[in-house]
Amino acid sequence: MKITTETINYIAKLAKLRFNEDEAETFAKEFEGILDHFQNLDKEDLSMEGLAAAKEGKSILRKDEIKPFENKEELFQNAKGMRESYLSIPKVIE
Amino acid sequence: MKIEELTIEEIQKAYQEKRFTVTEIVQGYLDRINKLDPQIGAFITLCKESALKEAEAIDKKLANGEDIGMLGGIPVAIKDNICTRGIKTTCASKILEDFIPPYDATVVQRLKDAGAIIIGKTNMDEFAMGSSTENSAFQKTKNPWHLDKVPGGSSGGSAAAVAAGFAPLTIGSDTGGSIRQPAAFCGAVGLKPTYGLVSRYGLVAFASSLDQVGPFTRTVKDCAISLQTIQGHDPLDTTSIQREPEKDYISDLHKGVKGLRIGIPKECFKEGLDPEIRSAIEKAVRQLEEDGAVVEEFSLPIMDSGLSAYYIISSAEASANLARYDGVRYGYRAENFTGIEELMENTRTEGFGKEVKRRIMLGTYVLSSGYYDAYYKKAMMLRQKIQKVMKQAFEAYDIILTPTSPVLPFSIGEKTADPMEMYLADIYTVNINIAGVPAISIPCGFSKEKLPIGLQLIGDHYTEKKLLQAAYSLEQGLGVYHETAFLKEAE
Amino acid sequence: MFETIIGLEIHVELKTKSKIFCGCSTGFGAPPNENTCPICTGLPGTLPVLNEEVVNLAMRAGSALNCQINHVNKFDRKNYFYPDLPKAYQISQFDLPICEKGFVDIKLDDREKRVGITRIHLEEDAGKLIHLEDAPVTLIDYNRTGIPLIEIVTEPDMRSAEEAVTFLKELRAMLEYVEVSDCKMEQGSMRCDANISIRPLGQQALNTKVEIKNMNSFKEILKAIQKEEKRQRELYTFGEAYKIKQETRKWDSAKGKTVPMRSKEDAHDYRYFPEPDLLPVFIQEEDIVKVKESLPELPTQKKTRFAETYGLSEKEIDILTGRKMLADYFEAVIAEGVPPKEASNWILVEILRLLKDEEGDEIPIKAVHLGDLIKMIEAGKISRTAGKEVFEALAITHKSPTEIVEEKGLAQISGTDELESAVKEILDYNQQAIDDFKNGKSQAVGFLMGQIMKATKGKANPKTAKEILEKMLVNLYVKSNM
Repeated sequence: MKITTETINYIAKLAKLRFNEDEAETFAKEFEGILDHFQNLDKEDLSMEGLAAAKEGKSILRKDEIKPFENKEELFQNAKGMRESYLSIPKVIE
Repeated sequence: MKIEELTIEEIQKAYQEKRFTVTEIVQGYLDRINKLDPQIGAFITLCKESALKEAEAIDKKLANGEDIGMLGGIPVAIKDNICTRGIKTTCASKILEDFIPPYDATVVQRLKDAGAIIIGKTNMDEFAMGSSTENSAFQKTKNPWHLDKVPGGSSGGSAAAVAAGFAPLTIGSDTGGSIRQPAAFCGAVGLKPTYGLVSRYGLVAFASSLDQVGPFTRTVKDCAISLQTIQGHDPLDTTSIQREPEKDYISDLHKGVKGLRIGIPKECFKEGLDPEIRSAIEKAVRQLEEDGAVVEEFSLPIMDSGLSAYYIISSAEASANLARYDGVRYGYRAENFTGIEELMENTRTEGFGKEVKRRIMLGTYVLSSGYYDAYYKKAMMLRQKIQKVMKQAFEAYDIILTPTSPVLPFSIGEKTADPMEMYLADIYTVNINIAGVPAISIPCGFSKEKLPIGLQLIGDHYTEKKLLQAAYSLEQGLGVYHETAFLKEAE
Repeated sequence: MFETIIGLEIHVELKTKSKIFCGCSTGFGAPPNENTCPICTGLPGTLPVLNEEVVNLAMRAGSALNCQINHVNKFDRKNYFYPDLPKAYQISQFDLPICEKGFVDIKLDDREKRVGITRIHLEEDAGKLIHLEDAPVTLIDYNRTGIPLIEIVTEPDMRSAEEAVTFLKELRAMLEYVEVSDCKMEQGSMRCDANISIRPLGQQALNTKVEIKNMNSFKEILKAIQKEEKRQRELYTFGEAYKIKQETRKWDSAKGKTVPMRSKEDAHDYRYFPEPDLLPVFIQEEDIVKVKESLPELPTQKKTRFAETYGLSEKEIDILTGRKMLADYFEAVIAEGVPPKEASNWILVEILRLLKDEEGDEIPIKAVHLGDLIKMIEAGKISRTAGKEVFEALAITHKSPTEIVEEKGLAQISGTDELESAVKEILDYNQQAIDDFKNGKSQAVGFLMGQIMKATKGKANPKTAKEILEKMLVNLYVKSNM
């Protein structure tokens, strides 16, 4: 299956990654190899596998109770910038 | 007494008999790490002061005759993708190089509650993606048995730490073999429990439906003790076991393997399997038969396509799990950027290593519109099939036996050129994660060059008790665990 | 001739105590980032756990909106990057939502119409971004991340902006009634986006639709839909229909028009896949029945009960029951001992005026205060005019009517002794008026009343004063004839 660098660049954009020409070409080749290998999926008889989710079971739920996080001061300790109690980041243009 | 030869059991006995204090033991390990870890590179972070402080506190308790817990005074090292409050947790990635979690993972909390002392965080492949620990952004870890060889991955640091005698217990994670394969490479006991038996809360997610946390130890009994401590339902993890698990793995450990039905998939013994590994496995099989097990070959043809399903599912989930690392809230942030889009793009491009980017790209691709049905959907269907096939196999056999790895520990730098070659080495381990069943790797011999060889025992869901019994029997019969890697201080 | 096709997407915050996947409080108005934790800020290693009340409330909403509640529903990840989305994916529902195929009946201009509900699904809310004017900085508040939402998607059944707004009012009423949400558009607990397209009458196929966002009140929704409708019609009329692109436009209320929006994600490839950290939600038939049976009184039932119990007109009842808040308020005022007709009058005229005709979210006067006020007027403690003054004051302060009356000195003089002396004094000085009265000039009474009100600075209870005046006049008359 032929993978073009356009495809690589489109996927990279979706994943918020960037590659130069060479890297994109290398990726394209690697992908081809890996996707070729994935073709063995088609060898398998999957006709018996309905993907419908299980019809029965128990829901795993929690009670609607307020449980505040105890270590609030540490919660934003890794932030690069705060203003009062807001997280501050470089301006986002909408 | 050589500290590198001590087991959890022996240390606990020594505390009770007042032959050593906790402080002495912890100091002993810290000294050894200080002397020898520069050669091994198992640790990213060491917690010297806090460990000694905790040791002091436990010594006081011991002096007062108080109960110190199931793992009281036992030093433990934690893989650096498991959150430890107040202690840097990097996942061996530049993008989390300065990240300090404000909370403990559930497994860490349980260890602490049981009296264990955290001595440090161990090296790994970045975000658990890899089989050699060479993908760490910070350092390489060497195999204590042969310093030119890899310790395996992705939990290489944790495996090496046990093998080098830096701690009697370390914790790793396993998504496609990341506990078992390094255990085999380093001659340690490594267990991947049933999916859901140990809470994932606090384990930095790689592939949510495949990840599990598990222990590395020198012996199977130590493994049983550790499992008992860390397992159990967690209200913070919806996928964790919803009932009481098996409470006691220790008392019946000596049960033996008489009458146990053991199946060996013939697909595991094709070409590609190192002949030295093959003969070590065959020797182990003879031991099992001697001890009364019924061993038989059978066919488990699903192995190849299982690998494809694994890479599709794990990459897809990983691409979503790693999307949060964008430089906005925490972690590395690129210095040069104009606007938020570039901030995210540059941060991720600069902060992630090659293998991580490769998996993110692969995962994004298989989930993108137009490809979802061809890859992800098929992989999920295959997953269901694999689970059915495994269930069937466990109707005929109590345990399935395979080598853990088809190759011996390879040299550092040897396999990094071709990703596919690396992926193929996972062939014995990934299907276990796909099925969610438990598996343990125990050392079963050495190659001519004294490189460890591991054997994998696989059980049906929640059959850890049977698994540990069989592993114990084999371990005692083979006696491999008596050997320790010899390390001398660098000149 | 063209017809307008309108479909709506409404996001409603569910009224739970804690967030959908963690134990943080959902309380409105907390300081920034007060209600946060590692889970809702998407820290590495955290996992979601579903709040059972979210499922209950969604089922109630689905029930009230006549939907089919699915026995199995599941969550999916919707993947995109934005700073208000900590995990870079939103946990939502894609192919197996909790409810489907419902409807709401509305009445507009005596015409009845059924608007279809395509689906209702659960999802988590994102955070809030504040872009500073005076610095190249954006502030983020994650209090809102993880607030449980239901997204209600309608069929494109509406044909005018009025129909859309009528539907929204009815929807809001329903959701308030089943106590699923506060539905306060001003606070953001109910948000609406519209999808609009135009097609020639008789054409079956739908043309390109445009999504409109950023409409923050029913008035704005009405205006925005009408403007967009006009924009599209003009383009079709002048043969420029190709200019209508499938896009998202923002309603700019200052400019009074819709403008193209910068897209959040150029490629809207959300790569939905099942959420591996959560298990499917299984709903038994008996649970569905239980929810249906436990639904609180719905608008139709309340209307019937009001008609039977309070004897008000249909029009009055329609407005009073149009919002649960209003109906509850009405019954709370009556509980203070106020006759239903009086309560209804005050609410339908004065309270609605304060509420800007049903758009506002808070009634600024406590029911007990209004009740007291009305009773004071009935008892003659203050005049009706004074009462209006007190009413305005109640809307602004937190004081009770008694306190306000005292502060402003509005108490009416109703005491017989006090009034008698006041009346007597006036009579003593107005012999001419007394003579006029004796001579049959009835205006004299009016004149004397005027003098009495003047002398008491308007505080005399007119009714009582008149009674006393007339009694005294009669006495004088009788005396003079003896």
